[in-house]
Amino acid sequence: MRRLVEHALGAVFPTSAGIPGLERLDYGARLDEVLRGPPLMRLGLYAATLLFVLLPIWTVYTPLPSLLLSPSRLDRHANQLASSRIYLLRQLMLLLKTVGGLLWGADPEVRQALGLSPLGPDPGTFRGDELRVAAESPPRARR
Amino acid sequence: MSDYACDWRSYGHIAFQERGSVALEADYVVVGSGPGGSGAALVLARAGFEVCVVEAGPWRDPGDYPESMLGAMRDMMPDWGATVAVGDSIMPIVQAAVVGGGTVINSAIMVRTPDDVLADWRERHGLGDLFDERAMGLQHDAVDRELAVQRTPEGANFGSNNAMLLSALQRRQLGGKAILRNVVGCQGSSSCLQGCRAGAKQSANLGWLPEVIARGGTVISCARVDRVVFERGVAVGVRGRSRHPRTRVLGAAVDVRARRGVVIAASAVQTPLILQRSGIRLPALGRHWRVHPGAAVVGVYDHPVDMQRGATQGTASVHFRDGIAIQDGRPIAGTGENGIKIESLALPLELLAGRAAGAGQALIERLRDARHQAVWISAVRAEAEGTCRLGLFGQADVRYKPTQRDLRALRAGSHLLAALHFESGARLVRPGVVGLPAEIAPDQLPLLAEAPLDNRCWTWVLSHLFGGAVMGNDPQRSVVAPDLHVRGVRRLHVACAAALPTTLGVNPQHTILAVARILAERLANGA
Repeated sequence: MRRLVEHALGAVFPTSAGIPGLERLDYGARLDEVLRGPPLMRLGLYAATLLFVLLPIWTVYTPLPSLLLSPSRLDRHANQLASSRIYLLRQLMLLLKTVGGLLWGADPEVRQALGLSPLGPDPGTFRGDELRVAAESPPRARR
Repeated sequence: MSDYACDWRSYGHIAFQERGSVALEADYVVVGSGPGGSGAALVLARAGFEVCVVEAGPWRDPGDYPESMLGAMRDMMPDWGATVAVGDSIMPIVQAAVVGGGTVINSAIMVRTPDDVLADWRERHGLGDLFDERAMGLQHDAVDRELAVQRTPEGANFGSNNAMLLSALQRRQLGGKAILRNVVGCQGSSSCLQGCRAGAKQSANLGWLPEVIARGGTVISCARVDRVVFERGVAVGVRGRSRHPRTRVLGAAVDVRARRGVVIAASAVQTPLILQRSGIRLPALGRHWRVHPGAAVVGVYDHPVDMQRGATQGTASVHFRDGIAIQDGRPIAGTGENGIKIESLALPLELLAGRAAGAGQALIERLRDARHQAVWISAVRAEAEGTCRLGLFGQADVRYKPTQRDLRALRAGSHLLAALHFESGARLVRPGVVGLPAEIAPDQLPLLAEAPLDNRCWTWVLSHLFGGAVMGNDPQRSVVAPDLHVRGVRRLHVACAAALPTTLGVNPQHTILAVARILAERLANGA
C-alpha cells in the first residue's frame, strides 16, 4: 500500500521544469511518520490512494490502474480528480494534496528551486523526553 | 500516592510517566494550559493557592519547536491537526495540544473584547456586571502590561504581505491597522504557527506556567484528562492517563485531587467532551458551538512578496465586523448581513501547496511563483451554531454548517480581498472557490460576487472556537452559571472559550484570558 501512496503523491507533485517532484525526493522517513500517525488520517490517505489508482476509467476513460498510465495521462488524471465536481472525491484528493504538500514543501531541493530558504530541523523533543540532552531534562524519577 | 518518589514534584513539572500512577493533591486543578487555563492558574497561584495544571500535550520549549508544518502538525496539534467539523462539508479545526495551548501556535494577536459583545452578554445572556466593560478592561490592562502587548512595528520585520494589506486598507479608509500582539523583539521569521523559536512570542509555556511552578504549583504534561471525579455532587479532582507524545503509548494513571475546586479550560472542543465523559447531563452541553470560519484569497504579484519574512499576521481590519454586503461591486458595511474581519496571514509553502487548485503539472505551475504570492483572509462572525459531542469511539464529533448568511458574508469578504489585491497590483487572484476559475484576472472580479453559496465549494478553516459549555442565566440554554460554575455540581468551573456564549468578531485570546482571570479572582476571593 505504501508504494501506491508514493505513486499517488508523486503524480500530484510531479517534477516540472527545474522543480523536483516527490518521486525524485527522499521523503520516505517522513511518509513513514505520517503513516504511523492517527488512524483516521492513515485510513483517509489509503482511501484516497485507492480511488486515485482505480479511477482513470472515469477521468481519462482508460480502463487501467493509474500505475499503467502514460505520464501525460497520469497528469491529466490527477488534475481531473482534484478538480472533480464530486465533493467527496475532491476532499480525498485534498487530503493527498495536503500530505503531499507537507512533504514536498518542506524539502530543501524544492525550496532552493523556488528561491526559499531551507527549513531547520523538527526536533520532536519535549521536556522529560529521553531524546533531550540530560542536562536539560528534569531530575530523573526514582522508583 | 505515586509509585515515584517526590523529587520530580520539587521540580514542578511531571512529563510522561510510563509505569505506575501519578497521584497528587492541590488546592485547585486546572485542566488545560492555553490562555484560559494558564490565566486562571496564574491568578490562583499568585493568590497563594497550590495549583496543579494538567495538559494533554507535552511541554515543548522553543528549542523543541519544529520548523516545518508537518512537524507543527505532528508536535503541536491533537491528532496531527486531523480534527474536523462535519456538516454538509468537512472543515478542519485548528487547535493546539502542547503546554501553553493555543498561545504557542497562534499569531499572538491581542484584541480587547468589543463593548457591544459585553453589552450583549449582559442583556441577552444575563451575565450581569461580572464581565462588564470595567471588569474586563482592568483585566485587559493587566494582561497588556504583563505580556508586553504592543502594535506590530511597521519596520523591517513587518513583512511585505502585511504592509501591502495595510496600504490597501488605508487607501480605501477601511480601518486597516497593524495588529496588537504579545511579542517582544519579533524577528519577523514568520513562524508563529510552528511556535516562535526565537522566543519572542510571550506564550504561556515561557512565562506564566513557569511562574505557577515557581509559586509552588505543578504542571503535569502528556496527560489527557478522562473525567472529573465527584463525591456527593462536589468536584474533588480529575482522573486521566499519561500518554507518550511520540509513540502515543499509554502510561501511568493520573489522579489529581482538588481540595478547593476543579477548573476546566481545555478548549471549546475538549471541555464539553470532558464534561460529557464525567456524566454531566445538561440540555445545553455540547450545544451553541460557534466559530469564526475563514477562507483565504491569494494574490499573485509581479514582484516578490516573500511571505516567509515578516510577522505571520501583522495587519487587520474590523471595519466590516458588523456586516458586509457587495452592492454595485462595492463593499457596504453594517448592512444587516453578517460581519467579517480581515487579516493578512503568511502561509508557509507547505500549506500553500495543499491549498492551490488542481494537481500534477497544473498544481506545480501555481506554486512556481510562491514567493510572489500574498495571502489575505476573511473570517466570518458567523451566526451558525453547531454541536460538539462524544463520538462513538470517544472522539470529538463536531457538527457544524455555516448558514447562507455566513456564506454571503464570506463571499463578500473574498470579493473585497480580491479587489484589494488587484488595487495593490496583483496580476491575478486565486480565490480557491470551486465553480470559479482557479485564477481570475482583474476584469473577472464580478465573478466572485456571484460565487456559489455552497459550503462544499469553499475551503473553510475553523480557527476561533466558542461555546459547547456556554455561560448564561437560562438553565436551558447554558451549562455554566454567570459565575462560571457548572450547573448542578459544586466546585466545578469552566474558564475557556467553551464558556463564551457568542462569537466576538475579533480574535478571542484576550477575551478568554480576561474571563479566566475574573473567574480565578472570584475563586481566590472565596466566591
